[in-house]
Amino acid sequence: MQSLSPATCPGCGTPAGGGDNFCEACGQELAVTVVSTGTVPVGACSNCRSPHFSDDGYCQRCGRRAPVGRDHAELVLPGIAGVTDRGVRHHRNEDALALAATHTPGGPATMAVVCDGVSSSERPDEASAAAAERAVHILTATLRAGADGEEALIAAVLGANSAVCDLAGDSANPPAATYVSGVVTSAAVSVCWVGDSRAYWLPAGPGRGARLLTRDDTVVGHLVAEGLIAEADAVAAPGAHTVTGWLGADAGTPEPHTVTIEAPGPGVLLLCSDGLWNYQPDPAGLMQLAMPKALTDLPGAAAGLLAFALDGGGRDNITIALIAIPPGQAVVTADHRSAP
Amino acid sequence: MNRPEFTIEVSQNEYLPAGTGEVNAIVNVTSTGSGADGRSAMQDDTAAAEVIIIDCSGSMKAPGPKMIRAREATAAAIDAIRDGVAFAVVAGTHVATQVYPSDGLISADPATRQEAKFALTRLHPDGGTAIGRWLLLARELLATREDALRHAILLTDGRNEHESAEDLAAAIRRCEGVFSCDCRGVGTDWVVDELRTIATALLGTVDIVPDPAGLAADFEAMMTASMAKEVGDITLRVWTPEGAIVRFVKQVWPAVEDLTARRTQAAPQAGDYPAGAWGTESRDYHVCVTVRPAAVDDKMLAARISMIHTTAEGPQTLAQGKILAKWTDDEAESTRINRHVAHYTGQAEIAQAIYDGIEARKAGDDDTAAAEFGRAVALAYASGNQDTSSLLANVVDVIDASTGTVRLKPKVSDADEMLLDTRSTRTVRVKK
Repeated sequence: MQSLSPATCPGCGTPAGGGDNFCEACGQELAVTVVSTGTVPVGACSNCRSPHFSDDGYCQRCGRRAPVGRDHAELVLPGIAGVTDRGVRHHRNEDALALAATHTPGGPATMAVVCDGVSSSERPDEASAAAAERAVHILTATLRAGADGEEALIAAVLGANSAVCDLAGDSANPPAATYVSGVVTSAAVSVCWVGDSRAYWLPAGPGRGARLLTRDDTVVGHLVAEGLIAEADAVAAPGAHTVTGWLGADAGTPEPHTVTIEAPGPGVLLLCSDGLWNYQPDPAGLMQLAMPKALTDLPGAAAGLLAFALDGGGRDNITIALIAIPPGQAVVTADHRSAP
Repeated sequence: MNRPEFTIEVSQNEYLPAGTGEVNAIVNVTSTGSGADGRSAMQDDTAAAEVIIIDCSGSMKAPGPKMIRAREATAAAIDAIRDGVAFAVVAGTHVATQVYPSDGLISADPATRQEAKFALTRLHPDGGTAIGRWLLLARELLATREDALRHAILLTDGRNEHESAEDLAAAIRRCEGVFSCDCRGVGTDWVVDELRTIATALLGTVDIVPDPAGLAADFEAMMTASMAKEVGDITLRVWTPEGAIVRFVKQVWPAVEDLTARRTQAAPQAGDYPAGAWGTESRDYHVCVTVRPAAVDDKMLAARISMIHTTAEGPQTLAQGKILAKWTDDEAESTRINRHVAHYTGQAEIAQAIYDGIEARKAGDDDTAAAEFGRAVALAYASGNQDTSSLLANVVDVIDASTGTVRLKPKVSDADEMLLDTRSTRTVRVKK
């Protein structure tokens, strides 16, 4: 995991002091970006929450092996929480996660990117990490420059695609990743995706229906979208995981999809890889798992969803991002780490 | 000063069945010396201080040449002290008297060694036995040399009669951590438990020298071994995860010493066990901890073993080793007992069986004694512990060693029983 504050203020170009959240010259808030890059051990033991590890990678309180690299990473910013986990069956985590919070001319914006490396490609872990990291930095920059959610999302997904293509080299089976991103501003919620990583809208009140915002780029995804097959059957269908869209050198020009909900009312935007939705594709079911906890404790709700997928078998890598609507509103509990 | 290099090797089966938490490991600690291999012990510059305590009670007079042999043995030990080592000789009766030098310690050189040996001729057995007082004088002398490896040799031929058991216990407590002490009983009129208690507390050895003729060689060997020590005040530190319980920490080679009760808390999750002074040598420890079980496929650091050297600059970690736990559903993995763990579990059992057998014999319970000795015979036979096997053969007639079928000998000499008693804790290593 790394936390990135820009070296200079994007507003006036003044060098930013270490750990400053606001530019000392013009007062603009500096972007806070958190990316799980997969190289550095995370800050807390997944068993006992202790932040102290021995040099050889064991928790100094409970003795558990430290979650190394991307095996398990938890990222938290005000109004956003994410977790990415290797799961039970896979030997490494090929998912990637990036979060950011920033100020735009139109007010605060929070955003997340979830990418799932395509296992049948080469170096899928590098593909997902490159895509997520590039995307979140383009998102913050374009939103600050005044772009609206969808414009920023399109710029970011194209940038992410270039980042994955840059990894290809001479490979016959170049790195590839699926992609879902979401931006929450005070005006709207926008999502953009390629592949089968998903976005769900989970409203705060029980009266309004939770909703799947994305439509999988998979063989069965198109059938479900056209009402030809039931969602519950689709998960088990032979083509459920055969993606028809991805980022990467062998994907051609990406065809990202976008959806925007104007003034959606309070709630949470959930982005996830198929490691979660395989165990609960139904929006109402996911809402039951996440609510009402997500309204007061986003990291706790993300941890709850992860535990659900792990308890279900954890067959795939699991990545979850929860973004509060309106942006930055949800309470972040004190015992969870937050970005500097 | 060069410090010895320590290495730790852990031998264990780290796989545990789901839901269980007992982890066993054999920890081999080896000190490879300070790189001064081949040098003469007499040229060593390690600061050391030695006190030789000789029983001069009336019983040393007769029968036979006990006192003469004790003088010769002391002289042999004095000759083994290298130049520059501070030393003194103490005579023990119902009081403790300094024989040489008249006061404090003196640096060894050819002249002082000669003077010391000459002073031994003045020793005349007369008086009682108050071992606690002897120890306290040694303490007084050695406590002045905090910079040095401090060691004493204690020789007695009788029981501690002229002070209370409490006085002796209190004296031992005061000496703990100040110096190490090797204890020898000559003849068969001394009490194994008394000397064993002292040797255990003061991290030394205990042995019987049944025939005074063997004293000189034994004393020389003891002093030579002490001169070979390069670093003192070593502790074995055991870190355990929260919620874990240290079941036991035992030295299991070269002899069984249960250190479990000697723990001092070093940190909230770490305890220190005394390991004394080290030269170029190797020792094995059996560590058993119980941790909270985790999920199948989870991996845990069940204990971290560190060898710690405490100096004026504070504690220094010389080596570390890991005891791990991994949970599995595969019984083939989890039921495999590590052969080192199995072997030393057996060696510790031999010592316990012999101890129980001796106690039962003293209590007149011959059936239990035969059963315990038989168990020890079978275990010693199976593990190839030939020294213990032959000691056992002095107290029982072995009918079938493999099954442990034995008959108590109708008449056992005191010396044979005491030999078995003092040496029952000696172990052998795993057969290759």
